[in-house]
Amino acid sequence: MAIVKAERLMNVALCLLGARRPLTKRELRGSVEAYIEASGDDSFNRMFERDKEDLRELGLVIDAVENLEGETGYLARRDSNRLPPITFDAAEATALGLAARVWQQARLAGAASGALQKLHAAGGMPVQESGEGPDGATARRASGEPGQAYPHSALEPYIPAREAAFEPLMLACRDRRPVVFDYRKSNSARPERRQVEPWTLECWRGQWYLAGYDRDRQAERVFRLSRITGAVRSKAAAFTAPVPDQVTVRESVERWAGERSSRSARIRLRSGAGYPLRARAGMVREVGDGWDELEIPYGHGLDAWLVEFGPDVLVLEPAELRADVVDRLRAVAKG
Amino acid sequence: MASHAIDRTRRMLSLVTYLRDRPGARVDEVARAFGITTDELISDLDVLPMCGTSYRGGDLLEIDTDGEHIWWRNADDLAAPLRIAADEATALLVAARAVATLPGLRESDREALLRATAKLETAAGETAGASSRLSVTFESESGVFADLDRAIAERRRVWLRYYSPARDEVTEREIDPVRLFAIGHTYVEAWCWRSEARRTFRLDRVAEIRLLDETSDPPAVEPRDLSAGLVQPAVDDPQVVVEVAPGGRWVAEYYPHDSAEELPDGGLRITLRTPEPASLRRLALRLGPDGRIVAPRELAESAREAARHALAAYGE
Repeated sequence: MAIVKAERLMNVALCLLGARRPLTKRELRGSVEAYIEASGDDSFNRMFERDKEDLRELGLVIDAVENLEGETGYLARRDSNRLPPITFDAAEATALGLAARVWQQARLAGAASGALQKLHAAGGMPVQESGEGPDGATARRASGEPGQAYPHSALEPYIPAREAAFEPLMLACRDRRPVVFDYRKSNSARPERRQVEPWTLECWRGQWYLAGYDRDRQAERVFRLSRITGAVRSKAAAFTAPVPDQVTVRESVERWAGERSSRSARIRLRSGAGYPLRARAGMVREVGDGWDELEIPYGHGLDAWLVEFGPDVLVLEPAELRADVVDRLRAVAKG
Repeated sequence: MASHAIDRTRRMLSLVTYLRDRPGARVDEVARAFGITTDELISDLDVLPMCGTSYRGGDLLEIDTDGEHIWWRNADDLAAPLRIAADEATALLVAARAVATLPGLRESDREALLRATAKLETAAGETAGASSRLSVTFESESGVFADLDRAIAERRRVWLRYYSPARDEVTEREIDPVRLFAIGHTYVEAWCWRSEARRTFRLDRVAEIRLLDETSDPPAVEPRDLSAGLVQPAVDDPQVVVEVAPGGRWVAEYYPHDSAEELPDGGLRITLRTPEPASLRRLALRLGPDGRIVAPRELAESAREAARHALAAYGE
């Protein structure tokens, strides 16, 4: 199926690129095998519209021009489709090769290797040495000899995007189309319908977030993609609120997670326990009997986190945090 | 499957451009430049001669191969290098920018990434604009990253003090690092001489690191397949059942699980597997009023016991 379709798309692309004048649908229908075989006008029209979209997806600029008889003709002008001259040195080519392997999301992985193929085809990339294929880094290390020079960081970065909402939201952000989806807030039982003008998607600590304008709340909101339930539907409509120049998803999330808190708490921690608490502590001092005293930032969620350490943590102040921790411990003790 | 056809068409268009300037190109070299297998390349070469170049029909691409070299007999100027599409620019630019900001990356690599990004932005022109609507940050500990990067390059054993959250303890160990990877956080995969097994360590849990003079000599093991996610419980790991209220639904987002049944109150009954059930005692404590362990019972009891013990210190 994919071969048949790819062959058809190739034929349409080459026809449009080779045309010296706009080609009418009639002309195209008479020349591309799959179009000749199309069972009727509707089926041909649907196929042709999809194909045009797909070709635009891979970068082809297709112009629609009306001829003297009022018939629409199509062509892909060479000057608007040509890649400007571009060359990369070996280090830049390696860097791009690395970048092209980062996406674990099918559409973007395909787009990244497609871009790299275009750059190779254009002749702007230095010829790679053998062993420097897609898995060159790993192959090189596996066969590496001691003392061999490693010119680049031994890094394999990956960007996951497993959430079903990712792709539709990416396209909606790109095309600036409003979306509707069901969203379940972290502490609520039922999802709620949200109408959003999507601005940006941001991945932080492996989680994807969407920032946008919430039409019902008439304010900026950040959504976590893993909490979107069901399908994302986009509508062909204009945004009603201005898009800010700078959107800072990460700051909103950090603020919410209490990582930018200005308050602090004083706790007692058993020696040797709670390394992550120590790593964040402003002050640590030994108080004897196998206990240390720490001063740590007090933000959202600190109570739940401290309870994780069970009997190895004792909250001294503030009283509010102490009471929250005791409440949580009581709930667990009751089971 | 549409995206596969798009990827394939894009590749074949580039192939035509590539072949125009390189008559008699070697099959293996072309496959390498395109990042595909020779079989994939040959199957593209089977399709290309079916493609016509004009609406009048008949003008088929005359591309053939003897299995080693490839020729395009009727090459023409049809195949100028194609511009970069918006999604293509986005995919490369977002990834390159993300990697460039990784703390601890070698300066020369960072500069190469930034130079390549700038050139690509220029070449892509307006279509590069949409790439600002997607961004990715990798978390890393720059000092630890740089040390491990050096250890891998110089093939040296490494001493670590490492925090394991499951047992809330910091242990010392010697490891032979094999590779560094980043998925949200940055990790090192290594042979761990303490556990005599392949282990993955998260860089922000490294409390202390030192490069040793000994040569790294990890036993040959398959590198982990990361495509299915980082945490992959084994089939024979013990099962744990956790019931959470609406406020504890996040558990299902963080822990890979076998099942999550909806409960009438809006909560979930989550069944998961873990090699170390004791580590979930921490989860039970963390959940507080928002959830509890249902099975195994000993685990549920140990969480209650820990809570009672902790409460005693508050005079309860």
